[in-house]
Amino acid sequence: MKFLCVPCDTPMKLQSVGPPERGSLSIVYSCPECGYEMAMLTNAYETQAVQSLGVRIGPEGGTKTSDASACPFAAMIPGTEDGQAAEATPVRWTAAAEARLANIPEFVRPMARAGIERYARDNGCLEVDEKILDAARDFFGM
Amino acid sequence: MQVAVRVSYRLRNKMKSYHDIVGDGGSGILEQVAEHRTRIADGLAGVRHLVAVGSGKGGVGKSTLTLHLAGALRARGLRIAILDADFNGPSQARMAGVQGALFVPGSHKVSLPRTSNGIGVFSMGSVIPESQALEFESAAQGESQTWRATREFALLGEILGSFEWGALDLLMFDLPPGAERTVQYADFLGPCTSFLLVTIPSEVARGVVARSVAALSKGPNRILGYVENMSGYYCRDCNAIKPLFMSSETPRLGIPCLGTVPFDPELARFCDGGISFAELGDTTIRRALDDVAQQLLESLI
Repeated sequence: MKFLCVPCDTPMKLQSVGPPERGSLSIVYSCPECGYEMAMLTNAYETQAVQSLGVRIGPEGGTKTSDASACPFAAMIPGTEDGQAAEATPVRWTAAAEARLANIPEFVRPMARAGIERYARDNGCLEVDEKILDAARDFFGM
Repeated sequence: MQVAVRVSYRLRNKMKSYHDIVGDGGSGILEQVAEHRTRIADGLAGVRHLVAVGSGKGGVGKSTLTLHLAGALRARGLRIAILDADFNGPSQARMAGVQGALFVPGSHKVSLPRTSNGIGVFSMGSVIPESQALEFESAAQGESQTWRATREFALLGEILGSFEWGALDLLMFDLPPGAERTVQYADFLGPCTSFLLVTIPSEVARGVVARSVAALSKGPNRILGYVENMSGYYCRDCNAIKPLFMSSETPRLGIPCLGTVPFDPELARFCDGGISFAELGDTTIRRALDDVAQQLLESLI
């Protein structure tokens, strides 16, 4: 979808995206020529239609149409609670290991985190680094 | 009045149309969809053949055949992976023995869980327990008929783009039932994906498969042929194949038959227990599956 400022005949630019509120997004566009602003307020069907494409909307592509921090299947995945591993002893993750975890799809992230932490504990480690990830990969024949 | 003024303004000034404007003003949706496509293509760059196993009809044994044909091909030394595309009724995780698989982040993508005989398998059954149904967050509060298929294909794209498929001879897609779904997968996976259809000796099943053939024939995807599953049942006591369905008419699907596979309760036990093809032994069923695998390979050349 594109927006055109009719008096200026100029394409409008996306300025901001409000977080989803009761299924509605508030997306503000402005005309770079005259500065006129307008907001597109989506209904739940329109929000869902974009959300279903698995894309983000925003000036820097940074606002996801759903809660970006939540795994959509978190409640269904065993051994996780709100996307976090429900284990007693905390396991630290190095920045590099976290970065690798961030590369994988949200829907397997909680499960991957829980499984790797279990593997680390089983091997007497309380920190997950890239070596642990590679060792787990080898151990499970991947 | 306002409308009249605007119309006359447009007529005077010939305002820009959608296609006159480059970009989309900053939402980046089209670019992101294109990026997803590129990521999928990059991820599958090392795969020689994409084969979707479908039918249109449910309950004909698509998943069983997919797994055991993969096993037969793996036994020939081929590099094989399976993507269980039936997100709502995934069965490959249990049958392939990867229900409790660990997902390990690689340097950029997720390592693919593997069976004991080295077949890579992704199945939602490894992610979600059998007691739960696949659900998505929805801004539309239900009304899933308006968006669910789109969401599922976005998920398929995410899986294709996020897992390490690596160098493969064959990536097999175990499709969900539904003739229209078969065509949707053909559209999504592109013209390089070939189709293997599964039927059983029942007029009802053949009728549905014929609809899938008709629908797929309108597109560019190649249909390799069909396999008639449950073509009689294997009686171990008699060591003979006996009729299972009364229908004896030869299917007229207009595509090559790659073989027939009888029903074997022992094979069903293997599937329930996640026992691999390698442990099947030298049985009538294994030979039938081997023959189909050979035909499948020859059809791909």
